[in-house]
Formats: sequence, C-alpha cells, structure tokens
Amino acid sequence: MRYEVRIADRVVRVDLDAAGRALVDGEAVPALIEEIVRGRQWHVGLAGSTHEITLLTREPMRLLVDGVEVDASAVDERALAASRGTRQHATGRHELRAPMPGLLRTVHVKEGDIVERDAPLFTLEAMKMENELRAPARARVTRLDAQAGAKVEGGALLAVLAEVE
Amino acid sequence: MIRACRDLGMAAVAVYSDADRGALHVRLADEAYAIGPAAPRESYLAIDKLVAVATRAGCDSVHPGYGFLSENADFATAVRKAGLAFVGPPAEVQRLLGEKTRARHLAAEAGIPVVDGAADPLKGIDEARAVAARVGYPVMLKAAGGGGGKGMRSVRTAEELDAAWRVATGEAASAFGTPALFLERLIEGARHIEVQLIADDHGNIVWLGERDCSVQRRHQKLIEESPGPSVDDDLRARLGDAAVRIARKAGYRNAGTVEFLVNDEGQFFFLEVNTRLQVEHPVTELVTSLDLVALQFRVAAGERLPFAQDEVRRSGAAIELRITGEDARAGFVPASGSIALLRLPSGPGVRVDHALFEGMRVPTEYDPLLAKIVVWGTDRATAVARARGAVRETVIAGLPTSLSFHAYALADADFVAGRYDTGFVASHWPPAEPPDLEGTALTSAALVAVLASRGRSAHGTNGVATAWQRTAREDALR
Repeated sequence: MRYEVRIADRVVRVDLDAAGRALVDGEAVPALIEEIVRGRQWHVGLAGSTHEITLLTREPMRLLVDGVEVDASAVDERALAASRGTRQHATGRHELRAPMPGLLRTVHVKEGDIVERDAPLFTLEAMKMENELRAPARARVTRLDAQAGAKVEGGALLAVLAEVE
Repeated sequence: MIRACRDLGMAAVAVYSDADRGALHVRLADEAYAIGPAAPRESYLAIDKLVAVATRAGCDSVHPGYGFLSENADFATAVRKAGLAFVGPPAEVQRLLGEKTRARHLAAEAGIPVVDGAADPLKGIDEARAVAARVGYPVMLKAAGGGGGKGMRSVRTAEELDAAWRVATGEAASAFGTPALFLERLIEGARHIEVQLIADDHGNIVWLGERDCSVQRRHQKLIEESPGPSVDDDLRARLGDAAVRIARKAGYRNAGTVEFLVNDEGQFFFLEVNTRLQVEHPVTELVTSLDLVALQFRVAAGERLPFAQDEVRRSGAAIELRITGEDARAGFVPASGSIALLRLPSGPGVRVDHALFEGMRVPTEYDPLLAKIVVWGTDRATAVARARGAVRETVIAGLPTSLSFHAYALADADFVAGRYDTGFVASHWPPAEPPDLEGTALTSAALVAVLASRGRSAHGTNGVATAWQRTAREDALR
C-alpha cells in the first residue's frame, strides 16, 4: 500500500509492504510504534528519538506532534488516482456554510436575488458576537436553506450561489 | 467558588441549565438545582429562578461568578431583598460603574485621565459621526451598558462607521439589553493594564497589583500576566493610587478591577471598572498568595480585610493562558465537539482551573473558555519557560482549541521580551510560516497519519501497528 501523506507543507510518501515493513520516501524506517490510546495517541521511537503524536481532530486531520499542532492528511494512492479522475468542479458555484454553530439573526436575501461581492447575506450570532457572512462574488442566490431565527450547526449549508457576470 | 467554600467550612449550592446537567461543578457541589433550558435567558439569566433556589436551599450568600449576572445590579438587588448577602459591590455601585459613560465622569472627577470621546451615550449615528469627527479617527465604538468585548468595534474611517454602528448596536442590545453606544478615540500601540482591588464594609480599600492583559483578540483576553512586563514601580504606584481613588469615590465594596490603557510613554487613561471577580484573578492570587474568592466571601459577611495596603506582599511572576474551544488557526472561530482525550499539565508552580473531563460535550451555548493554565515563577523568564513547558504537556483532543496560539506566543521573541501591546494578535497571528517538522518528528508524524487515516476505515489500526512494531523490533535486534 502506498500513501501520499501531507504534514503541514510537506509531502511524504509512505509505503507499507506485505511484511508490514514501512518505507518513508523510499527508506526503510525501523520505528517502534506504541498505540497509547486507541485511535488517538501514539508513541514513536526511532533511533533514540521519542515522539508523542495525538490525533487532535479527524476532519480536517490535525496532529499534535510533541506539542506542535500540524495539519495532516494521508490518502492511499489508489483513492487519490480515482478522485483525480472523477473530480468535477463546477466553476462559479459557491456553497455558503455556517462557519460555526449559532443563531441565524437575519437573512438579508431571498432566493433569486442577485447580490454584489461582499454584500451581507446572513447575520449569524455565536457566543453573543454577531458575524456577517458575505457574498464571495457577484452571484445569484440559487438556493436558500436558512430561515431567520433558526439555530444552525457549524458547517450547515445556508445557501448556494451561482456567479453571474 | 466551591473550593473557597470548602476552605471556609461552608457548603456550596450549585445551579445548572439542561446543557450543564453533567458538569463538574454540579457533581462537586453539596447541593445542585436545575434551573431550566440551555438558553441563558431561561436559566442563568433568570433572576427569579436563581433567588428562589437560593432561598429554598437556605443559602446565606450568593456568589455571582464572573459571567452572566455578575455585574447585574437588578440581580444584586433581588438577592439582598431576599435577605441574602450578595458577594459583590452594592447594587447602586454596580449601576453607577456599569454605565460606562457615568464611570468615565466619575474617573474624571477623581482626577484620572480619560480617553477623549463622547461624554454620554450617543443619541444616534449622526451624533456618533460628529463626535468621531471631533476626536479624530480611528475611534472605538463601545457598548454603554457593559464590557467584555461585546458591542465593541474599532472604526478606522468615516466610511466604516455605518456598518460598525449597526453590528455594535445589535450586539450591545443582545448582550446588555440596551443598544446604547458611546465612542472614544482609539489609542494605538497601547497596553491594557488593570488593577485588582478588594474593599471591605469598613472603608478599607487595598490594591493587589496589576495585570497586563494586552494579548487579546476581538477585545477578549488570551494571556494575562502580573507584574506587567512594562510596568515600573513608579507607574505601578500611580495606577494603584488612581484605582483606589476611583473606588473610594464610587463607594466600592468587595473585589473589583479598574482597567486602564497605557500608551508607550507611560501615560495612562481610565477605561472602565469591572464590578466583579475576573476570569484572570488567579494571576494575582499566585503573586500575592491570597485566595480572592475566599476574601470575597469574608468581606461580604462584613469582616474586615485581614491586611493593610503596606502588608500586601507580591513575589515572582505569574502568567495565565486562557485555553478556549476556538480554532486559533481559523481566526478563533468558536468550535464544537467533545473532549476525546485530555491531559492537563502539573508540576511546581503550575495551576489549572478547569471543569473538563474526557467524553464531555463542550456546550456551544456559552462562553468558549475551556481551561485556565496559570503558572508562577520566581521571575518572568522562569514563568515564561514554565508556561511553555505546561503547554507542551497539555493535550486536549476532539475539538480545535486556542493552544496553538499559546504555544506560538510563548516562543515568540517579542512576547518573551515583554514587548507587546493590544495589537499583538493582529500583528503576529497567524504566523507567516506554519510550524515545520524535521527529521524523525516528520517521519513519525507521517506514519501516524497513515495509522490515523486507516483508523477511520473498517481495517482498524492495530494490525498495521503490530506488524510495524514486530519489524522494528527485529531490526533493532540485528
């Protein structure tokens, strides 16, 4: 199995062979790995060095490596190849999602509206702070999934916009 | 609060909303009562319910904590009317100092400099425009009804005023029940320095040193320390004297904090008085060896302060890190989740105030504060090193937190040298370059990333790890 791993800005290739041997960027790694907390925390001993690594969050993956927080991802190369083949990117379509859980105070638009770039679309109250969510581009509101007064989860889809000239 | 009660031989009665049913304070208290749904208005802000519980439980006094109703004069009045002691200043003092423009008048009358701005709450956007033009941009819009960063917006140009006014009035109305705002000239490059006070019913007012709370985002504090790294003995004495003068003029009782802005020439300006215990009070407790909450209970019961001003001893340096459930790396947006794994620091000079436990769902209904890591050292350099070690030891997994910011700040040359002001977060965060891993740390992280990603699928991680381990042991034996 071969993985493309990203740690912060670095890309590393990890190969696992049938014997359970690990190769990192082509070099065999004699690492002693101890799973400390199942699926959460590991200790890696490698030629006298000692590293404690904790999975902080899964989506997106963040690791705490000896007290340093880094973004990480590991994709097996077959999955990577498959996703590259099928990726569809409808340009000009924007999904506007709630950046955090909160109370939707105001909805400034309705379906079908054309809004200018940076126009306020929603006012979201979270932790008693009001946050204005703005249009990423001049666009038409093609779908509106939110009502004023509604409690929304972080990541909830609020609206879909289609860019217009 | 519960700890102080135990020390004083008092029983503690807790209240909780539906969101806090399993909270630590509920389980550690001697008695605990449900007061309604998660929405603060129906529970923690419901004065009638709180007073009813206190009366029914046979309480002698009510400590309002440091959020919700802690600065609410109506609550203090209701508590006293029910025949209970309110652990805080008299209602009329709260009311006077809670109206930020009246507090400014009072400070000015006491001969303390205030920042140029509106003398009274603004009647509307037109008056705001006129005052801003008179004092000159940039200006700071502030809620007249309360502090804590809510209803507060800096405005750099006249063009920005309309939008800022709209947002700040909305926030002020929902946080303080009044949309009223005032404005002041914005002092750039200033430090936020506050003085801790404690006063009894017998006319004794003592100041307990200062705290520098300049490291803030959205006008909310992230790091506080005492002594302030830029405060010399002369400035400290002048700040302490000014704070006591304001408190005396206001008829202050119990614990409180007078906040100042100090510019780079050492000139200071009165900001506001917080008529309650503050989140960052442990910093002062560590340098003075006092228990402020216990003192609050004692003076609320009518006792005299057990020490005079010249008997206050401060030693060493203390730093508090406010660890919040906010994603520091995404502009401190509030995060939600459960505590999947928890390891808090300990050791000499390390104190952690928190109510976390593994498996706990962090409520999104309330303030995102998760834990306060407070360290003490014989001097600032020792305290900074200790704070760095404490962060290195801390693991809070399951949701994004502010810890990456704290780790960064404690290693930053400007912070380490004590060179910072209220612009620190804006000018330093996020760092231009993400943290980098080298050598075996990078290799180890890559291996764990593979294990962790497989953990999500049905394969489980054990098989792979075991195989690696076997191989590694064999390699090591060769």
